[in-house]
Amino acid sequence: MGQNTTLDPFKIWKEVYEKTESTWRGTIENSLGTEQFAQGLGQVQNQYVQYQELVKTLTESYLKQANIPSIEELAKVASMIVNVDTKIDNLDDFIYEQQETTSLEIAQLKQDITNVEQKLDQLIEILKNKD
Amino acid sequence: MLTKEFKTPSDEGLKKVKRLTEVFVMEPEPQVGQTPKEVVWTKNKAKLYRYQPAVKKTNKVPILMIYALINKPYILDLYPGNSLIEHLTNKGHDVYLLDWGVPGYEDRHMKFDDYIVDYIPQAIKKVLRKSQAKEITLLGYCIGGTMSAIFTALNPQLPIRNLLLLTSPIDFTDAGLFTKWLDKRYFQLDKLVDTLGNIPFEMIDFGNKLLSPISTTYGPYVSIVDRVEDDNFVLNWKLMQKWLNDGVPFPGEAYRQWIREFYQENKLIKDELVIRGEKVKLSNIKANLLNISATRDNIALPNQVAPLNDKVSSENKTYHSVETGHISVVVGRKAIKEIHPYIENWITENSY
Repeated sequence: MGQNTTLDPFKIWKEVYEKTESTWRGTIENSLGTEQFAQGLGQVQNQYVQYQELVKTLTESYLKQANIPSIEELAKVASMIVNVDTKIDNLDDFIYEQQETTSLEIAQLKQDITNVEQKLDQLIEILKNKD
Repeated sequence: MLTKEFKTPSDEGLKKVKRLTEVFVMEPEPQVGQTPKEVVWTKNKAKLYRYQPAVKKTNKVPILMIYALINKPYILDLYPGNSLIEHLTNKGHDVYLLDWGVPGYEDRHMKFDDYIVDYIPQAIKKVLRKSQAKEITLLGYCIGGTMSAIFTALNPQLPIRNLLLLTSPIDFTDAGLFTKWLDKRYFQLDKLVDTLGNIPFEMIDFGNKLLSPISTTYGPYVSIVDRVEDDNFVLNWKLMQKWLNDGVPFPGEAYRQWIREFYQENKLIKDELVIRGEKVKLSNIKANLLNISATRDNIALPNQVAPLNDKVSSENKTYHSVETGHISVVVGRKAIKEIHPYIENWITENSY
């Protein structure tokens, strides 16, 4: 008997969640879909952005005075590294393609030389026979 | 046996608290992305991985997975036995993944144009070279699928044999609540991008959670408390929570483009989207197409996914709807039992 009446906070929590979810789901969904909500969201965004802008401006002016590079300046250096990385990648690609073309040309040259050798051998043979 | 008989609910409660403490405080995070891989190519933050290079490849057409610009791609290789990549490589497919990496502030000017024109073609070139293949299968997930469709439409001359899209929005006529929230009149798009540079992951996550605020905020915690003694459930819960909270910022200009040109102006489906000066015509897509949507997806709604099949010129095209959500299309019991084998079969059938 005593065991059955023991309080189980997890069970209560789960029940509260399930009841809240099922009761409020529809209401919440309806209000999320209203134009007023979208409008409100826009206003919150606006305030957030204004705050961020203020913090950014203040931080940048402080960093400038303290002679510490800002994220903007660090990003400039990072961009230069990215550009070098792109150039290396292009070079790597170029070298690979050149290598491929060169390999094909070398193979063709080998074949041509073999053909010339064969013709020379035939010529020598003919000349020998004439002697 | 004796202790079990005398167990009281408060004992159970204490046991639960102890286990919950272990789960939240003591235990390490599970290891994700365990399928062996090698880096084939890198560019800026992006990396091209090849999976299980030592395993024999029996399928001649390699698969290149293009991931979204939000969240991390290890959802495609979440855990052994719960991984699309592992499933495909075990079946003899040569799988590559283009991971965009974590953009820095210096990448805030990156647009879809840059990813689609400068990165994807290079990745395809590297895949074809590495696999010594003549054709390729492109597999895009979420925004990665939208990007794959745009890329395929822009490059009909390339040997893209198969195009496989997972929950990839194409038509933004009705994107559910997002259509309302992203209304041009209220959404502070330019101010956000101009001030923040890149859009923080937390902001994107907030938007996604707002679609169903109670169940996404409290739901996971109620379920973990309820089933904390089920080790398998705990492992899967931790894996999902790790991934859900491990996002990446959205590159600023790409975000501006995504919201304005896709959500607000719906340019892609109307053939009005221009990528680096070239108009994207979805009717240029001729590759075999498998377009998968999820019925419970509230991020890429089925009505945003399905219209692609009517636009493409592919002779072989399939639209497949699954009874899952946006994420459970690639991980979880249903994905393992039904969706992974379905994808594998379709790729195999269309690679000979």
